[in-house]
Amino acid sequence: MSEYLKNLMARAGARVKAEEARELEHLRGRPDRLAAYDYFLDLAATGLTPAAAAARTGRPAVNLLCLQAPLELFQAAGLSPFKVFGGSQAGASLAAQGLPALMCPMLKSVLGLSRLRQEEKTSGAAGEVGTSGSSGAIPWVLPTTCDWVVKYPEMARLAGLSGLDSPGLSGPLHWLELPHVKDREGSQARWLEEVLRLKDFLQNLTGRPITRRALAGAVAVYGRAWRALTGLILLRRAGRIAAPWFFLTTNVFFGDTVEKWTEAVEKLIPAVAKNPAAGRRVFLAGSPIFFPNFKLPRLMEEAGLTVAADDLCSSERLFPGGVDCGDPSEFGLLEALAQRYHQGCLCPTFADNDRRVNNILGQAAPAGPDVPDAPAGVGVGAFEGVVYQVLKGCHPFDLESFSVEAALKAAGLKFIRLETDYTAEDSQNLSTRLEAFRQTLGVGGI
Amino acid sequence: MSLRLRRLRRLVQHVCFVVLMYGGRFGLRLGPALPCFSCPFVAGCGGHCYLMGLQGYIGFGLNAAALGSAWLLTSLGWLAVFIILTAVLGKAWCGWVCPFGLIQDWLTALRRRLGLRERRISPAAKKKLGLIKYGLVVYLAAVPPLITLGLLHEDFYLPFCNICPGKALLPLFAGETRYLAVNLNNQVTIAFSVALLTITGLTLTGMFFKERFFCLFCPMLALIHLLKPLTALRLIKKPGACVGCGNCRRACPMDIEEVRERLAPDVQTDECLDCGGCVEACPSNSALALKFMGRKLFASSRAYAAGFVSSLIYSVRCAPPFQGLTAFLFHRSFVPFVRGADSQRLSSEYADHETPGNHERILKK
Repeated sequence: MSEYLKNLMARAGARVKAEEARELEHLRGRPDRLAAYDYFLDLAATGLTPAAAAARTGRPAVNLLCLQAPLELFQAAGLSPFKVFGGSQAGASLAAQGLPALMCPMLKSVLGLSRLRQEEKTSGAAGEVGTSGSSGAIPWVLPTTCDWVVKYPEMARLAGLSGLDSPGLSGPLHWLELPHVKDREGSQARWLEEVLRLKDFLQNLTGRPITRRALAGAVAVYGRAWRALTGLILLRRAGRIAAPWFFLTTNVFFGDTVEKWTEAVEKLIPAVAKNPAAGRRVFLAGSPIFFPNFKLPRLMEEAGLTVAADDLCSSERLFPGGVDCGDPSEFGLLEALAQRYHQGCLCPTFADNDRRVNNILGQAAPAGPDVPDAPAGVGVGAFEGVVYQVLKGCHPFDLESFSVEAALKAAGLKFIRLETDYTAEDSQNLSTRLEAFRQTLGVGGI
Repeated sequence: MSLRLRRLRRLVQHVCFVVLMYGGRFGLRLGPALPCFSCPFVAGCGGHCYLMGLQGYIGFGLNAAALGSAWLLTSLGWLAVFIILTAVLGKAWCGWVCPFGLIQDWLTALRRRLGLRERRISPAAKKKLGLIKYGLVVYLAAVPPLITLGLLHEDFYLPFCNICPGKALLPLFAGETRYLAVNLNNQVTIAFSVALLTITGLTLTGMFFKERFFCLFCPMLALIHLLKPLTALRLIKKPGACVGCGNCRRACPMDIEEVRERLAPDVQTDECLDCGGCVEACPSNSALALKFMGRKLFASSRAYAAGFVSSLIYSVRCAPPFQGLTAFLFHRSFVPFVRGADSQRLSSEYADHETPGNHERILKK
């Protein structure tokens, strides 16, 4: 490698570190910081990589590029699933040539960070940098959701990322072919078959069968995690938790065992419940948000907007909890998981995704007395508008933003569509638009 | 919330079972017009299933001598009682009261404990099988007049009771086994006895492998559904709040698809038992609700569903001798379509890869 490239890598590595340190510094210095957040801050500070997660959980890691694969299966197999992500602009700038001009910033960042990781490995540099990338022979599970995910192995190969079993990736690759029509019997049957194949793949990795007992245990573990997340979400509906904190909590989900994360959230809930309600409540829809790129949530906060709900796959849709398995046999559990991850998913890569709007509209009405388990003193109310974030290059969310806008406006909700990326250049522009949006809230509407 | 709907329902079902099966021994007489399988063949029962009365009234109603008598007024009176009882509780008679329904739930609980897979009936097949219950209503209404008119032998009396598995099984709880015997009186009684035993055997098998199997064919369910316009208790959906996750269908004892699919307020199909399982499992605020005369009794919410679903325990344990027996009986090599029974054995072999004590702890909770 040329001296020039080495220097470039070193500088980019330093910038990635600085980005993360800056965001952590910002979070640590916030006046609403609670001791209960330390667990999540520490996870982010000590590295959110598959290797770090494997070290913490004591289980072999498996890379995921999308959350469509039933996480309970990994848990039951004794593996540690890790959703590979990249929120670093410095990482994205490192992505190699030969990529589309308008590309998903998240995967661009992943590519750059992976390249950085690889260079560090070959040059023998100590320590790992970045929030993502791969290290060692970690297997990959790739659900064929959006085009970026589907083409990732190809891009990784072009970027010169070396692999073991499959070019471009650092471990055996398993495709999970997703039927893009939800409401059709044939699609569901094919998806169930894919889930059964995933089970076989995971069993081959560990060399041990996934038992019904382990599966039932995994469903229970995620059920408890979902209950904890729901507790936090209820407080969020009441405007009691600031967006950056909530995103931090959900972003580090894969950094540790689900059980430890759940315990930390359960401890966080009583602490957050004491927070006062703040800001004008809005719904945040659209592309996911990943550490350390908390630009939009911070700008929204500065504009006096509180994210009371969202439908981001990095946040509230992190995992589709609450799986009711009417038939708790081994097959019944697998079928229930398959259905819950497929039919219940609101990702815009699905062809028949009309009910995504229901998730927003259904929560726009005050929940009030219908929420029997709400913590005492928590008023759970409606939000006043919807902020729709489109990451430049995130085509599925971009495409769907228009039909969602039409449906929400028809229902009388305030709506703003923001197109952005990981760079900081548009901050002032976004700020101005968010300020203006806040001023329209409470005038007319619902 | 400590008292979950499911637990409340189990409690009500068991109380109703005791009252309806043994109430008569303590002087309770709830009359012959109950809209559930409170079987009159159970000695000392608390009240009678209206199907028996109906078969009698329809037959005698065509008898010229009975017309204009006090007897006719009585029978019309009981019809009115049946309609009122149905109008008040609707399908809750099936989901919350029916003793035969509870027996089916016991068998389902046993199957779940054994970890055996539930047999599914495809929606298309269910639609066809569902017509049988209306056929049975026609059958039980058509045969008695034919006896009255002298076109059928008098041993065709009570044509439905004679083939109802409730008649064979429910009296067993009162120590009565004679309805399991073949009545050798004549060809008609022999045919009915054999039919009853066959149907009972098939129903028992069906009930074990498919939750609420008999309800698919129950003429009482059909009768209650025919009175749906009068019923006060309804399952109502707010279509704009449904995200289509399918928890309703998975929680449903009858595997009803329509609650998820239909985007309209009325999602109560003819198979619905008003058990409330779907409302409990639904994670969308107010998407589903049980309403009484338009007033909300119980509505879905994410907070409730989170507590409810995380409290579900998919128990995988049963007593050791029984465990060995079932592992033998239902081993894959013997019964190819049954899965999961042998996972018990495997789990002990590699329990070490699970986080120590973790699943144990959660399952115990």
